[in-house]
Amino acid sequence: MNDFKLVGSFILRRPVTWLFHALSLAVAIAVLGSVLLIQRAADTRLKRDLAGVDLVVGAKGSPLQLVMSSLFHVDAPTGNILLSQAETIRANRLVRSAIPISLGDNVGGVRIVGTEKAFGTLYGAELSSGRWWDKTMEAVIGAEAAERLSLGLGDTFVGDHGLMPGGQAHRDARYKVTGILAPTGAVIDRLVLTDLASVWAIHENHHHDGEAKDGHKHHERGNEIGKKDARQITALLVQYQSPLAAAILPGLVSATPDLQPASPAREALRLTALLGAGSNTLTLLGTVLLALAAFGFIIALASAVASRRRELALLGALGASQSHLLRLTLIEGLVLGSVGGAIGIAFARLAAASIAATGLGGYALPVESFGQTDLVLWSGAVALGLLGAVFPGLVAARTDIVRSLGGGA
Amino acid sequence: MDMRSANFPDAHPIISLANLSVGYQKKTVARVPSLQVERGQSLLLTGASGSGKSTLLFTIGGLLKPLAGNVVFDGHDFSQLSTGKIGRLRGERIGFIFQDVHLLAGLSVLDNVVLGAFAVGKRQERDRAVELLQIVGLQDLQHRKAETLSRGEAQRVAIARAMLLQPKLILADEPTASLDDQNTEIVGTLLVEAAKHTDAALLIATHDQRLKLRFVDHLELSNNPIAGSTQ
Repeated sequence: MNDFKLVGSFILRRPVTWLFHALSLAVAIAVLGSVLLIQRAADTRLKRDLAGVDLVVGAKGSPLQLVMSSLFHVDAPTGNILLSQAETIRANRLVRSAIPISLGDNVGGVRIVGTEKAFGTLYGAELSSGRWWDKTMEAVIGAEAAERLSLGLGDTFVGDHGLMPGGQAHRDARYKVTGILAPTGAVIDRLVLTDLASVWAIHENHHHDGEAKDGHKHHERGNEIGKKDARQITALLVQYQSPLAAAILPGLVSATPDLQPASPAREALRLTALLGAGSNTLTLLGTVLLALAAFGFIIALASAVASRRRELALLGALGASQSHLLRLTLIEGLVLGSVGGAIGIAFARLAAASIAATGLGGYALPVESFGQTDLVLWSGAVALGLLGAVFPGLVAARTDIVRSLGGGA
Repeated sequence: MDMRSANFPDAHPIISLANLSVGYQKKTVARVPSLQVERGQSLLLTGASGSGKSTLLFTIGGLLKPLAGNVVFDGHDFSQLSTGKIGRLRGERIGFIFQDVHLLAGLSVLDNVVLGAFAVGKRQERDRAVELLQIVGLQDLQHRKAETLSRGEAQRVAIARAMLLQPKLILADEPTASLDDQNTEIVGTLLVEAAKHTDAALLIATHDQRLKLRFVDHLELSNNPIAGSTQ
């Protein structure tokens, strides 16, 4: 006989009621836990995709749109900028690195990014097979994109005009897959990379009848993206040489006609704030549920203590101390918190995995594996169970033994 | 009335009561001017309902505080001890058998027998518990859940539990209430055997006429709280 066995016998006498209260705690933990897991996944994804880029330089328009299209690859670009202007910025001594990207085409919905090999180093990407491109019309594919498009080394494909599937195909220009990247957990996994020259080559030799349906603008202002004297890119991803650059470079960019600077960190904060309203509501809902669950199981434990008044009185009559009676109720709270917390975490993980698998607007989230968040949630549930058991435990400890045993007048 | 000199002249009593008034919420239900009980002795507390038999038993067991006077158990003056210490003393040295049996329904018969040792954090000697179940004739039911027992069987389990820690005093409150004649005979015999087995003093509060025949020493409480007489 021990405390846990005795508490177990108490619980098994009212299993349905007890399970109901464990489940109400579990639901509250599940709501809070899934919000927390998704928030953390989004933060992780955001940090990975920001890739240490301090400044995005692109065409004037919405800075958030510029960051979303150039770093997160989920929105249409604001337009194109002249390569020559980008090169001027790149040459600035306040710039440690600057990587140009050129967007405009997709294959099966996967964006084709014209860039330099250094783009891979931004995300710490390494080849899992093959090699980087040596010449135009060679491509390296992210791990997720390769799987989605069922493309392997040596395969060829054509790009469609625009950033969404269904655009006109550049049938006269086939890309050849020369390398496949290992998974990084960042946006590069879902991209097809090629050199800038390939993008320019396609657009020098190919003309369309109209605009792509996603608002793709690389024919605007008569500046064909591939013309040698007026070559364009979509954006320049800049890393600062020193903190001083943050004070000077954005101003320099703003002063250049047709260019705008966008700070990924600031835009990410804006994005988080936009998404935050929804998650704050869910967090509030979870907290309210948690408070209701806590109130519920305080009532449940108090009612359980009242219903086993005679048993507790018997233990007292047999010599059990008040602290022992308190301890038994605390153990019941502990068990309730542990079980409710564990079930809640399982529900939270299921919910988070479902949300992450669905993705938020095609933006897949890497839900962290079992770890700190789960431990914090579980500890919180256990602490709540213990706290909720204090009042009923004190009632148990003060059980009137004689009255409860039927000896009172 | 002083019952000490006439019946229990031993110099080392297990229980010593002096000018004791017992009751609830300042209302006296029984008074015992003087009483001493030694180890190995048996005493039947008798009287009509409401005469204070159970109240006196609970007071002797330290579950109730006396309204006046003293309870000294095995040399310990309860008035000098905290509730916690009295509880521990009760758990370790007094075997209590209650009117309504009070076994824990979710536990096995064996677990109920060791419950007293568990309550005071003493070593739970399960071999001894099995031996005691053998004495009360229930060794075959040791793994049964307590709620499946008949009332007579449950009372025998309560007797085994009271014997586990070799008590110096066994207190039984209406142990044969609602038992048939056969079970009353069994329980009466077992109580006497239990006291002998552990060399304990035995106090039984009862108004069961069937038990009166088995015991020599009686303390009769009347509904008049002043009165109390021995035979």
